[in-house]
Amino acid sequence: MSGLLAADAPAHLAWIADRLREMTVEVSGPGGGGAGVLWAPDLVVTNAHVARAPRVRVGFADDRQVEASLIASDRRADLALLRVPPVEIAPAASTDSDTLRVGALVVAVGHPLGLRRTLTAGVVHGFPPSRSGSRWIQADLRLAPGNSGGPLADTTGRVVGINTMIAGGLALAIPINDVRRFVAARAASVT
Amino acid sequence: MTSAVDLSNALAGAVERAAGSLFAVHGRPRLPSTGVLWRAGLIVTASHTVEPDREVTLTAPDGRTLSAQVAGRDPGLDIAVLRAEVAGMPAADVHDDSELRVGHLVLAVGTGPRASAGIVSALDVRGGRQREPGAMLAVDLTLYPGFSGGPLVDVLGRVVGITTSGASRHLQCAVRASAVTRLTDHVVRGGRIPRAYLGIGTQPVVLPNDLRDRLGLTQRTAVIVVNVAPESPAAAAGLVIGDVVVSIAGQAIAEPGDLVAVLQPDRVGQAVAVSIARGGEPRQIQVTVGERPARG
Repeated sequence: MSGLLAADAPAHLAWIADRLREMTVEVSGPGGGGAGVLWAPDLVVTNAHVARAPRVRVGFADDRQVEASLIASDRRADLALLRVPPVEIAPAASTDSDTLRVGALVVAVGHPLGLRRTLTAGVVHGFPPSRSGSRWIQADLRLAPGNSGGPLADTTGRVVGINTMIAGGLALAIPINDVRRFVAARAASVT
Repeated sequence: MTSAVDLSNALAGAVERAAGSLFAVHGRPRLPSTGVLWRAGLIVTASHTVEPDREVTLTAPDGRTLSAQVAGRDPGLDIAVLRAEVAGMPAADVHDDSELRVGHLVLAVGTGPRASAGIVSALDVRGGRQREPGAMLAVDLTLYPGFSGGPLVDVLGRVVGITTSGASRHLQCAVRASAVTRLTDHVVRGGRIPRAYLGIGTQPVVLPNDLRDRLGLTQRTAVIVVNVAPESPAAAAGLVIGDVVVSIAGQAIAEPGDLVAVLQPDRVGQAVAVSIARGGEPRQIQVTVGERPARG
């Protein structure tokens, strides 16, 4: 136990939290709002139910507010892609979400109930099937409205999912492998 | 840098290790619970998830279905021990729970596997009212539907308890592994779990302040005897209606539920000191704990 919880573990988690908070944006617009993940210097990924209008506002950690345009949205997958003026913030690093195991530690960043860039931690609970024929990442982790569209990350700080729903007190996130396919297909067709 | 990653990997490994000896227990309508292969042929689950007089089936991790019989129950601890012919599955790595401390990281595991994490929040759900550490731990984690009867594991995947949401209305609880092993030992030795029995019916009462002062008690309540079964251990020892029971074997009795906690199966055949107030005067009565007669 003492070997597992070496003294630098908390510091490491705090470092991860700082990185994640930097690349988590606020998304607000008519009919929706929540969080988003800076995917590339000019691209933000969020949920379709968060970005419901062709033009929405995106806020960064340094309080900058920019206008973003919705370049792709898939209601069924609940994913949306926003174009923002390029920023000099390091975008999210993602990993292979298929390697995630039940019991692994995960953290989420979002704006639950308007509390900006709040971090919550928990463990992977399971991988139930989703409506779209894929699987959710289900986590024993506290989310609230405002977390939608924000990152779920592993202990290396790499994003493994996009927090999307709360069901039965559990967090449901879209696996980042699905998100990567969504972005690859849409971003290619608009650039 | 690596320690948090190591911890995360350890937790995932712990879940994987524990999941190998888990069954889905179908002992009630709709929602299956979780059972743990405790030793060869014996599966432990939460008693409230196995309805009486019901056929019980188990689903193994590989999808096989087995039939099981209830070998014994301890409703006080909410534990049922099932018997089934199990082949090719490892028994749980049951670990000494005496090293558990408040604050230790633990996981609850359900079939699937599914997991939730938290910490040990108290070594006795009874809030330290008893002197000895209790058989029931309080844990600060979420027991999701179907988790009851599943293992509470430490960061190395060793089973230190059985989780249940049925033992307390407000708290998430886990029965210590050592208490569970005592119950399975009863089944191995005698084929069943004896139910300790005094033969009294009780109601809670508030103790008047002057009586508390006179008897030197800190508890605010006790139980009053409202019924004594004929030819029961209590009747043989001379307990009568109206006696106020304040403690048994040195453990405070503040509510009827405390009787269940004191009357563990190991007490059967033992003489225990019952402290009562009769007509406002303290007395001590020796009662030899009997075994509850079979129903019907």
